[in-house]
Amino acid sequence: MSHLKEHHHEQPVEDAEITSWKKKLIWSWLLTIPIAIIMLSERLLSFSLIEMPYSIIFILVLGFPIIFVFGFSTIKSGLRGFTNFYFNMDSLISLGTIVAYATGIFYFIGIVQDYSGIAAMIMAFFTTGKYVEALARGRASQEIRKLLELGAKKSIVLRNNKELEISIEELKIGDVMIVKPGEKIPTDGIVIRGESSVDESMVSGESLPVDKLKGDNVVGATINQDGILYVKATKIGHDTFLAHIIELVEEAQGSKVPIQKLADKITSVFVPAILILAILTFFNWWYFSEDLSRAIGVGVAVLVIACPCALGLATPTALMVGSGMGANKGILIRKGEAIQTMKEVKIVVFDKTGTITKGKPEVIDIYSKVSKEKLLEIAGSLERLSEHPIAKAVVNKASLKKYKKVTKFKILRGKGVEGEISGKEIIIGNRTLMNEKKINLEDFDKKISDFEEKGNTTMIVVQNKEVIGFIAVADAIKEDSVDALKILNDEGYKTIMITGDNDKTAKAIAKQVGIKEVIANVLPEYKAKKVQELQKRGFVAFVGDGINDAPALKQSNVGIAMGSGTDIAIEAGDLVLAKSSLIGVVQSIRLSKATFRKIKQNLFWAFAYNVIAIPLAVGGVLHPLIAEVAMALSSITVVTNANLLRRAKI
Amino acid sequence: MTKKKLTIEGMHCASCASNIERSLKKVSGVKDASVILMLKKGTVEAEDSVSEEEIKKAVSKVGYKVVKIE
Repeated sequence: MSHLKEHHHEQPVEDAEITSWKKKLIWSWLLTIPIAIIMLSERLLSFSLIEMPYSIIFILVLGFPIIFVFGFSTIKSGLRGFTNFYFNMDSLISLGTIVAYATGIFYFIGIVQDYSGIAAMIMAFFTTGKYVEALARGRASQEIRKLLELGAKKSIVLRNNKELEISIEELKIGDVMIVKPGEKIPTDGIVIRGESSVDESMVSGESLPVDKLKGDNVVGATINQDGILYVKATKIGHDTFLAHIIELVEEAQGSKVPIQKLADKITSVFVPAILILAILTFFNWWYFSEDLSRAIGVGVAVLVIACPCALGLATPTALMVGSGMGANKGILIRKGEAIQTMKEVKIVVFDKTGTITKGKPEVIDIYSKVSKEKLLEIAGSLERLSEHPIAKAVVNKASLKKYKKVTKFKILRGKGVEGEISGKEIIIGNRTLMNEKKINLEDFDKKISDFEEKGNTTMIVVQNKEVIGFIAVADAIKEDSVDALKILNDEGYKTIMITGDNDKTAKAIAKQVGIKEVIANVLPEYKAKKVQELQKRGFVAFVGDGINDAPALKQSNVGIAMGSGTDIAIEAGDLVLAKSSLIGVVQSIRLSKATFRKIKQNLFWAFAYNVIAIPLAVGGVLHPLIAEVAMALSSITVVTNANLLRRAKI
Repeated sequence: MTKKKLTIEGMHCASCASNIERSLKKVSGVKDASVILMLKKGTVEAEDSVSEEEIKKAVSKVGYKVVKIE
């Protein structure tokens, strides 16, 4: 968990930034207020508190610390731009305030009107804007920050039969952790003693506590509810589920949303362009109005009104809020691009096993020519060698104490298995395999069909080319699959189920959940190809588990990978659902769309602001002070608007 | 080709992030660079020949500080 610990150290950075802006803000305003009073009384009330030119000296003295002490970081970073030609936002503000401040000095040579008070106020407003923006940015990242703080810091472990409290960094794989009720499970592990229920909502979004018994996997940072659990640590540090989630979320932050490209391009040339524009504006005004003071005022207004910040913050802030909201619900956005692509999606393709269904099939019936025990002994011995969930169901049902020796074992992917037991050739598999091997299904045919029509999978057992029986296996539909598909169908998505099962089985399941189109008999390796075919009809989102369906997830326009328990396939899927539920698919579609809408709104405001405000400043309509306030408001608006994404119903 | 994660201090506006990206991309051997203002983080995808020093230098050249590379 050292990874998480590091994040704790980094945590205060954001707060430190806020505190530092706040300090600068308070001091700046303490000095700015007297300046403002003097300026306003002079200009508006034509009443001098301090006689000219002493008032200018007074303002220059008060203004100096505002610009060059409290504004030092801005001036320093801004002026650096003029030495290395990497201009930034600060370059504009620095030039604007320094030029304006200098007019106060030049006033004494009698050339220009004094703008030094304006300079001080611009810096004070800039500092205020930065402070508010930092606050809003902090709010935008609050969910992610909570996620980073989620990890446990200490653990009680059993060493040499003694309970010992250690810090999380000292925890090793294989340590037995003792987790008392109400405590966080320190790291991922497996329960070796005790039973309890565990609140996993923070990592899966699942609100109901999950029962944990001996042999169950538990996730670090989830909260033990009512019993004592003895948990053997299986993953630590960077390898834990939580660390993976954090990695996913951070990765998403770094990924770019295509719509941002234009804004990024503009941002990168924005500041130099504004500098040139300000200089041109200045000379233009000077030449045509023959009023140097006015020209300076307009030039400064152009410098301080331009704001690349709003453009640059438009997408990342919305993405930050969106991915934070997602993480709370167990939806992890891996690629920012997926958010944009999602709105084009017309077709949602679902893998069947493990996605629509629970993926844990059970044996529900057995028909046999020989005794059931005999059939299960053969089937169990053979299927024990396969990792397929259906095979596991058969092995569980057989629960043999002793297995028969199997030779020449072979897995026929998507079809079944074959091998030899005591010299007899055994084949277990589906109808496709039987047709291939030219096995006559004879009297079992009708019964098998009956089962298949109900959506069960039948495993036909063949010994020396003769059918000796079949095992019916059913995989129950997840509780919320029906609801989720109803929502998607109602919202106009074309829903399609894809599966390796035969047509009858597949259609029966599809009918139960409300899917009209079924693509059956698809071997795992052909799923991606089928997705490609469907893409001719429109953008396809593929929903499947991250392990078997990786190629299809990649091929689709948006791949939604279902997490399976405590393991998430990081590489597969543009979106990853920590909770293996189809409602998560509905939520992730809604979240993507809402986030993208917010990004578009933000970009609109940011562009509109600059497109309207810059010409106004060039035209000399805006006072430099108003320009600065407008600039500060533009980035605050964008970040605040991003925070409003939380109101979206997901 | 390796991917390095940077933690960068001193950024306060969008053009800062874009400046750092540009500076990093100019380092020979750097294939891609992306900097996120919101997280004060950046990722650099570069040939193995690119040293951490070079990366740090590219960032400090434009006025920011790399506080951590992983």
